[in-house]
Amino acid sequence: MSATDTSSRVSRFRSAVAEGWTRERFGVLGALALILITFAPPFQVYLFTDFLVVSLFALGFNLLYGYTGLLSFGHGLFYAGGAYGIAIVLRDLGPMIADIVGTGISPLVTFMIGGVVGLVLVIIVAVPVGWLSVRLQEIYFALITLAFGMLGYSLIIQDPAGLTNGTDGVIVLLGTVDLGGTSLRIGGRRIYYVISTITVVAATYGVWRIVNSPFGTICKAIRESPDRAAALGIDASHHRWMTFIISAAVVGIAGVLRAGLASVASPGLTHWSTSAIAVIATVIGGATYFYGPFVGAFIFLYIRWAISRFPALEAYWELFFGALLIAVVLFFKQGAVGGLLLLRDRVLGNNDDSDPGGRENTVDPGEQASAASDHEDEPGNDNMATDRGDDT
Amino acid sequence: MSLTSLVPLIGISDVVIGLSLGSRLFLIAVGLSLIFGVLGVLNFAHGGFYMLGAYVTLAVVSNVIDNFWIAAVVGALAVGIVGAVIEFSAIRRLYDRVDSDLDQLIVTFGFVLVIHETVRFIWGSGSYSIDPPDVFNFSVTFGGSTFNAYRLVVIGLAVAVLIGLWLFITRTYFGSLVRGTSSDREMAAMLGVDVPRLYTGVFFLGSVLAGLGGALSAPLQSTSPALGDQVIIDAFIVVVIGGLGSMSGAFVGAMLIGMMQSLGPQFISAGSIAIPFLAMVIVLLIRPEGLFGGIGE
Repeated sequence: MSATDTSSRVSRFRSAVAEGWTRERFGVLGALALILITFAPPFQVYLFTDFLVVSLFALGFNLLYGYTGLLSFGHGLFYAGGAYGIAIVLRDLGPMIADIVGTGISPLVTFMIGGVVGLVLVIIVAVPVGWLSVRLQEIYFALITLAFGMLGYSLIIQDPAGLTNGTDGVIVLLGTVDLGGTSLRIGGRRIYYVISTITVVAATYGVWRIVNSPFGTICKAIRESPDRAAALGIDASHHRWMTFIISAAVVGIAGVLRAGLASVASPGLTHWSTSAIAVIATVIGGATYFYGPFVGAFIFLYIRWAISRFPALEAYWELFFGALLIAVVLFFKQGAVGGLLLLRDRVLGNNDDSDPGGRENTVDPGEQASAASDHEDEPGNDNMATDRGDDT
Repeated sequence: MSLTSLVPLIGISDVVIGLSLGSRLFLIAVGLSLIFGVLGVLNFAHGGFYMLGAYVTLAVVSNVIDNFWIAAVVGALAVGIVGAVIEFSAIRRLYDRVDSDLDQLIVTFGFVLVIHETVRFIWGSGSYSIDPPDVFNFSVTFGGSTFNAYRLVVIGLAVAVLIGLWLFITRTYFGSLVRGTSSDREMAAMLGVDVPRLYTGVFFLGSVLAGLGGALSAPLQSTSPALGDQVIIDAFIVVVIGGLGSMSGAFVGAMLIGMMQSLGPQFISAGSIAIPFLAMVIVLLIRPEGLFGGIGE
């Protein structure tokens, strides 16, 4: 008796979950969660903002890695580009902008102008760097991006133009907006969280649209089979170049947000070890999925935070991520998102071990809607699973 | 500026320091290059191996036996074993993947973090240093400048390693197997070469060289956990300039970068640390196979 009771409850749960997991409801739930976080303790707000910024950094990186198969070890260059762009505008142009728009609103205007300048700066750098880099592939692409990143690092440290303030970096002071009595400190954790959330959500939506556009489809085609794409008349290196620029721009936006969050644009942002954060987050999260970088960044920041709760372990958090990175690449290329989808299929009863990504054979009618949306979201399809993941 | 006014600026000691810096770079880069040439793996953890070699040598000298040369051999062999275990347990699983190159790079990067943190766990974050072995720990004055005689020993050993490796690859049976497997892995396997074992052997050899580099330079620098991260980037520059897979290229590239590190700041005050990276970019774009090509050259 109890057995049938349980199974009927399980099936009811399954259908409820299956019908409920539509993209709209996810969206509403996500927005609610983002609003609720505003009321969290200040440190948690800060940590979540950090998570959003690292997510955007990794998302931009993965646009290149997950969608065209080019592994960059130099995206720190663009992260720093955005950060230094806004930092220098805030430092050098703040008073001038205050003269034009008035002191009340000038911090916000300066922040926005700085953000745009940072983004434009990144694009200006990414156009030639990308054009040169995409001539190479695989290891050689990784090496040339590493070299460009470290070239940027050396120039920022040595500061031949007198703009970047050497190893100390540029301090970022965001200021306070004063609107007839109400003053809002832009750098305040909650305000900055709201700014970051709006920016990251908008940028993510933009990337999502690009990925699902004809352009994105072509990129995936190039990744799966460059020769076949070329035979269809696609100029692969042009598409790689364009993807490189878009990827750099997204990372640049993340860099702008990073500068405000850290209150400084420091040369360390260009160093290859910063570029490696995007690699770690993306690979752990699952490079073959659109949301992989988000999940990876979440794991990266929150596990690091959890480890830091234990003083004995705090100093060795990199050990954990090194081991996790090795384990993911060796045994589970789909990463954490792949794991979550597998878990979802288990819960929903679409138990099919031959398909770890849970992407085919999801025939449960109530589940069709969400399954279909997942298909769109994933840069990887089933070819991907056979090519990159399962053949250990 | 005329030549006569330039020449006195270059002291003999600067040249010797440059060459000894180049020698330690050569020992890392040649192992990196050998592994890439045969296995096709770009080992990000090679800088970590170098650092580990230095640490093991320091530990043996200060705790076990007060003989630098024995300690250096122990250090090099210990690193070789670590390398062989990593190849055997992790990297081996990736050879047959479609995009194996990048997966290998990411896995070896994972080992960068693991080695770095393990070293920090065992030896702490501080830096260590030891004196050169007593026999060579004296100053040489030559042409008006002074340097430690041990630097000459390091340079001599680097040259000896280059010659030894060259003889090993071109004149021995094992060397011919390495060359054969490097140029056509399937054919070598079909002809009865035990490719997996050969790969482990080459990885062992490359790791031993990195460990030896670390061991020999322990008296010349302070050893800290950050050492691996610094040195791997220099090694990447060297192998790119010399050509991935080329041993003589690694030697010339290493000496070039070593001299640049030693003499560069005297000539170009701004941008001197940027020049090696600029050179790396230019070589990758114009001659991705490096200035010297191919294994065994």
